[in-house]
Amino acid sequence: MTHQRTLSFTLNGRPVTATARTHETILEVLQRDFGLFGARESCGQGLCGCCTLLVNGTAVSGCLYLAAFADGAELVTVEGLARGGTQHPIQCAFVEKSGFQCGFCTPGMILMTKELLGRHPRPTDEQIRHYLSGNLCRCATYPDIIESVRRAAELV
Amino acid sequence: MGSLDFARGREVGRSLGRLEAAAKVDGTVEYIHNLRLPGMLHGRIHRSSIPHGRIVRIDTSAALAVAGVHAVVTADDVARLVPDPYYGPAFHDQPILATGKVRHVGEPVAVVLADNPHAAEEAADLVAVEYEPLEAVFDEVAAAAPDAPVLHDELRPAGMFTDLKHLAGRRDTNVALDARLRSGDVEQAFAEAEHVFEHTFRTGKVMHAAFEPMVTVAEPHAAGGLTIHTASQSPSFVRSEISRLLGWPENRVRVRTAFLGGGFGAKLYIKLEAMAAVCALLARRPVRIALSMDEQFYTITKHGATVRIKTGVARDGRMTARQVETFWNGGAYADIGPRVTQKSGFSAAGPYDIEHVALDNYAVYTNEPPAGALRGFGISQLVWAYERQADVIARTLGIDPLEFRRRNALRNGRPHATGTVVVGMEVDAVLDRLAEAMAWDKPFDRGTGTIRRGRGIGIGVKACVSPTTSTAAVHIYGDGSCAVHCSTVDMGQGSDTTMAQIAAEVLGIPTTDVRVVHPDTDVTPYDMATLGSRSTFHMGNAVRRAAEDARAQIERMAPGATSFRDAMLARFAMQAGTVVGFGSYAPSYQKPDPETGLSANITPFWMLGGAGAEVEVDTETGRITVTKLVNVADVGRAINPASVERQLTGAAIMQLGFTLFEEMVFSDGQVLNASLADYKIPGFLDVPRELTGTFVEAPHPEGPFGAKGVGETGIFSPSPAIANALYDATGVMLYDMPLTPERVLRAIREAGGRPLEQA
Amino acid sequence: MKAFELVEPATIDDAIALLDAGDPGVRAVAGGSALVPMMKARLFQPTRLVSLRRIGGALRGIHAGDGGLRIGALATLTELEHSTRVRDAAPVMSRALRTLSNVRIRNVATLGGHLAHGDPHMDLPPILLTLGARVRVAGRGGERWIDINDLFLGYYQTAVAAGELITEVHVSAQPHDARTWYEKFTALSADDWPTVGAAVWYRTAGDRIGEARVAVSAATERPVRIAAAEQILTGAAPSAETFGAAADAAAAAVDPLADIRGSAAYKREMVRVHVRRALEKAR
Repeated sequence: MTHQRTLSFTLNGRPVTATARTHETILEVLQRDFGLFGARESCGQGLCGCCTLLVNGTAVSGCLYLAAFADGAELVTVEGLARGGTQHPIQCAFVEKSGFQCGFCTPGMILMTKELLGRHPRPTDEQIRHYLSGNLCRCATYPDIIESVRRAAELV
Repeated sequence: MGSLDFARGREVGRSLGRLEAAAKVDGTVEYIHNLRLPGMLHGRIHRSSIPHGRIVRIDTSAALAVAGVHAVVTADDVARLVPDPYYGPAFHDQPILATGKVRHVGEPVAVVLADNPHAAEEAADLVAVEYEPLEAVFDEVAAAAPDAPVLHDELRPAGMFTDLKHLAGRRDTNVALDARLRSGDVEQAFAEAEHVFEHTFRTGKVMHAAFEPMVTVAEPHAAGGLTIHTASQSPSFVRSEISRLLGWPENRVRVRTAFLGGGFGAKLYIKLEAMAAVCALLARRPVRIALSMDEQFYTITKHGATVRIKTGVARDGRMTARQVETFWNGGAYADIGPRVTQKSGFSAAGPYDIEHVALDNYAVYTNEPPAGALRGFGISQLVWAYERQADVIARTLGIDPLEFRRRNALRNGRPHATGTVVVGMEVDAVLDRLAEAMAWDKPFDRGTGTIRRGRGIGIGVKACVSPTTSTAAVHIYGDGSCAVHCSTVDMGQGSDTTMAQIAAEVLGIPTTDVRVVHPDTDVTPYDMATLGSRSTFHMGNAVRRAAEDARAQIERMAPGATSFRDAMLARFAMQAGTVVGFGSYAPSYQKPDPETGLSANITPFWMLGGAGAEVEVDTETGRITVTKLVNVADVGRAINPASVERQLTGAAIMQLGFTLFEEMVFSDGQVLNASLADYKIPGFLDVPRELTGTFVEAPHPEGPFGAKGVGETGIFSPSPAIANALYDATGVMLYDMPLTPERVLRAIREAGGRPLEQA
Repeated sequence: MKAFELVEPATIDDAIALLDAGDPGVRAVAGGSALVPMMKARLFQPTRLVSLRRIGGALRGIHAGDGGLRIGALATLTELEHSTRVRDAAPVMSRALRTLSNVRIRNVATLGGHLAHGDPHMDLPPILLTLGARVRVAGRGGERWIDINDLFLGYYQTAVAAGELITEVHVSAQPHDARTWYEKFTALSADDWPTVGAAVWYRTAGDRIGEARVAVSAATERPVRIAAAEQILTGAAPSAETFGAAADAAAAAVDPLADIRGSAAYKREMVRVHVRRALEKAR
């Protein structure tokens, strides 16, 4: 049946399988089959970044990412960043600098920061702003998010 | 060891981090968005494609044929359960589903219930509705005219909120409310004024775009009750209104919320709750209705407004008379528009001491999506008008804009236009701080060539909505731990932490030891709603009183105990028992005179916000870059200073979007940009290089620890500050928001005698 | 979204066989960043999507040689953005990629999809029009090359036929003295789609401009070369007057589409301003 797939992929370090219809996005599978809600749909167009997750180490918009394409891939969501009950340093930085208000965009900001710091371990403010410019925050907590990213660069 | 140390005083005034911080950064924080229930159906709305028309026929057969579809609900089905299906906080004018006619594009006509969201979406497209189109009206001034097509044959006041009790039933008009204020004799004053200025200002419709789109899950109980899980700012109102619609006592309806992914006024009153409740009761299964971002554009907006403002000024630069006529574009359903109209309307004289004032406000129905509250109610529309005009007056008379505002400032002890004597409003302190932050007395480089620089300020005032009630309970459990029960909704503003700080301050314990129980009408007591910057003041007072009550009970129960745990053990002899402290707060109020709008006690507190902006204008493209934006608020006392600053900078950026580029663009009632692809909101690259949110403190006599509300204050004044900076930079006057590059360039070219061709 | 058939062929030939079905509901998909939003908006409901992600080697990679850059159609925009070969051969591309949509989209969007989409708001088409490029297309009848000047036919319309697939993009080798620039103007938020994109390319011979290319996008229904502007530039001194005259010619030549970002008159004016600025900034 070409309209439905059994997918095998690694989710936050754990091998998993799931069944998905071809027209479902990875976000729907993560929410329905794995109870993971850290990646969440808002604008639905890949523009706001609330649905960010890492696929094979790079950030993608989960709301546009067909579930079938996750087959064989390595997926990381914000829930997978902590190690043994200890928050990832980027998460610590966002807590320390209060880089959020309503929190809906926060997992996306954190995962994008992870990709940014992978590419630019000591980012300039300009690099931070450009790298995160595809992540929106309607509470407009931008100054505190930039502070959080700066702090994360120190902690990572 | 001494006795309980209630005088620690270490919690209020500290920039504590959020209690829920860990859950927000690890993705596990609870939003209603995440809720899935066993056996749940997914509801998808079929929406009107036309702005005004009679529904001739609805054909649901194709929709019902889609695999996975359980039912298609229309107004006929609703009527079986709710014979009178109209709801609303001001008028009972909005049907649960379009009944007989549609009044705006995007109005819900039917709901498809299906096993999965894709089937529901596919089927919703297949619902076929035949309409008989009616003439539509979109402009608020045209819609108020006697010959305009009428949207509602009859208007029935809701009669729930005290402050809206004056609304009268009406027939055959689109004007839901005309609210007037008369103080002194403006005609005489204009005749005697040295100068009279008259302008018309407009603002377009914008949208909240909360990132957690509206979502409600309704869950019927076998025993005949209903739980509504909803991303709502007003759980208490939802309970009352759903009960009323169903003809049930309130105790059969339970409404609960979680953290909200933003609200900004969009998630007030009834949005999806009535629809979801009816669908769930008809289907006898839980029903989830979750909007997409795009659908939110058709659900609730901020009022567009036309403001005609006339001001008389004496030779010495003092304003002596002001007349303002404002038409508020309320869209197809009143929602809370009448309150916006009245409560904002009476503030149109601004934070100024003007002796003669006449204000007329019209809440007008049009065939656009409904307008309601958006962070600041209607204040920013009015500040846009009076602060733009203030700069025109100042410039015309050769007075420095800051000095002009100082000269006219309304000071404590003086009567506001409503007649209420002003208390606890620090206009001089705000202006001083603004002057300092803007280095107003320093020379300023205005640029050369195609990049011109300018700076501007603005100042605006709001009276907090009144009268409203908040109640709270503080529980001390058997082990001495503490929970605050209140129905204030934390939608990102940080109210959980603020309320915990207030309780902790009273109880002498660390804030982190306080748990705040989220709104659940079965558990948390009544609150009017989380809106209008009222929570810190009203709920803060209720929580403070509840904590004081709990503390007093503990002290009576176990004098000399050194901890709550000891006190509970002393009383109950084991880890047992609960002490419940209760607190309630409702400020005093005097209803305005229906003829004059005058009242000796119109509000519990005044909110004052000043803003300053520096801009660079590209005179070849019209693009404005805001390089510096300062918000100064008068907050009474900051319970959590960092939280206050974050609200002020966040509001500044939100209003920057409304000022420069956010606008819903309509064509025959259709929204041409109903998605974040085309309705752009500010991102990282739009944030001014210098951005400051700062505040002045002068404890308010009635506020909890002197605090006032602040969630909206930062919205008031950035727009005129930016436009006044544009005026300073280029000499160009703009009357309409937003200040899109095209509007700016057209004005620049017009002024330079080289107008851009039309079209 | 509605159910559809998803196939994931391993070779180009298999992909073409699956694409050539005489059904407008059959489309190729790579990153999906353009197609999935259209599906979500129900503007496009596929019957079959042919995923290219299992096709390896031939469609990937960025190669530099004497003939210019050869870029596999499945190269992601992120790969292009960070490629030193692209930076060396065409820095104007690298610069534009930094503000093209956002990181997540660039991580999955491919060059082939970027061009095949035919959306006039994309940033690379006007740049490629000025650099010179051709697109290799495979179909059931074999392969053909489409010159970039012949690729964009109209609003979301390209010369790539149904059943055909872009397999490679060849960017011409750039003479060392070529000056280039891409000027992007956004009317709403800073990260908005462009209201106008203006790409320029010219070489000087002595104190004169030898050859010039000017392309405009976003304001127009498709990215277009502006011959009238190029004629003014060719043989003229690279001066403010020349650039201004070329910009005027570009403004006169375009037929802008009015939309929520501006009227036709405003966009025409923005074409003038940004063509001139691009010429002034070209390096």
